Amino acid sequence: MSGSLQNLSGLDRVIHEPARLMLVALLSTIESADFLFLLKESGLTKGNLSVHLSRLEEAGYLHVDKTFQGKIPHTDYSLTAEGRTAFNAYRKQLDPILKRRSGSAK
Amino acid sequence: MDVRIEAVLKRARGYWFIDGFTEMAAGGLFVILAGILLYRGYGPQVPFLDWFLAVTSEIVIAKLIGILVAVLLLWWLKDHFTYPRTGFVRGKRITAAQALVVLRNVMLFLFLPILALLALSLLIASASNVLASMPAWFPAALGLIWGGMYLLAGEWLGLRRFRFLAAIMALTGIAIGICQFTIGLPSFPSKMPSEISALPVLNAVNRTLISLDFLVLISGVFLLISGMLTFLRYRKENPAPYAEES
Repeated sequence: MSGSLQNLSGLDRVIHEPARLMLVALLSTIESADFLFLLKESGLTKGNLSVHLSRLEEAGYLHVDKTFQGKIPHTDYSLTAEGRTAFNAYRKQLDPILKRRSGSAK
Repeated sequence: MDVRIEAVLKRARGYWFIDGFTEMAAGGLFVILAGILLYRGYGPQVPFLDWFLAVTSEIVIAKLIGILVAVLLLWWLKDHFTYPRTGFVRGKRITAAQALVVLRNVMLFLFLPILALLALSLLIASASNVLASMPAWFPAALGLIWGGMYLLAGEWLGLRRFRFLAAIMALTGIAIGICQFTIGLPSFPSKMPSEISALPVLNAVNRTLISLDFLVLISGVFLLISGMLTFLRYRKENPAPYAEES
């Protein structure tokens, strides 16, 4: 098995799923965001988004902060330090594969 | 689902500008500053020292109050208009060390090249020539710097309209510079005794002020237009929510 393929098999499967990858990428450049922002930006349905957020929370990549703004419930989502590290590691793993792919395409 | 990580990162970074409010606030502040300068420039004749003190103090006060009002207004508008429509985002907190790195980079990539260019121009031409041609090169240089900053910001935030604003600012600066170099823009009526106003340095400062005024005014108007168009599109794409999303 070549080096790049070995890298591919070692990719973090929690993050590698496209919807979760988008959610982690969105949260990686900001401190936190609420459900509505993630819903609008990801284009997922509410149910689908909830499932993916729960999966990220279970993996320890997401911190969920439930508060009240007046009488309205407000949920903030932020990446944990572990989540940020995992996302950075994922990108580092993926970069050489993508570069190799774009190199061979030329 | 096709996820282009870089595009997603840019979308999150550029969220603050999604509604056009920031551009409208910046454009409004620019127009107010240009208005103060125009009003003082063409306003009633007063002794030079009074005029100079009035202009500088009013511009400093307008900047301080304007920035404070703009920040408060932006927070209010975001709270009542943007966040209920497209969600709340808290930006990354910058540590003191990160702020120092930003400051160092600004100094390195913005001020050092300007100082280097000035030093180079002083080597090529005499100091009096550089000062005398200030009304031409100053707006061009400032327009190019602003344009460069908007271009970089546009790339970083993934906002294509910033490229257009960058081009407008750079071209306006260059156009004003060319106008000053060839035909000369109308300068402010002199508010100093003729023997003082005849000094080339003061004459150059006077003409530079009007160059700067045009650049700030035109840039401000385009920022306002860009902000308004962005706001109208945002409002159309994101109508008021009927029920709270949670």
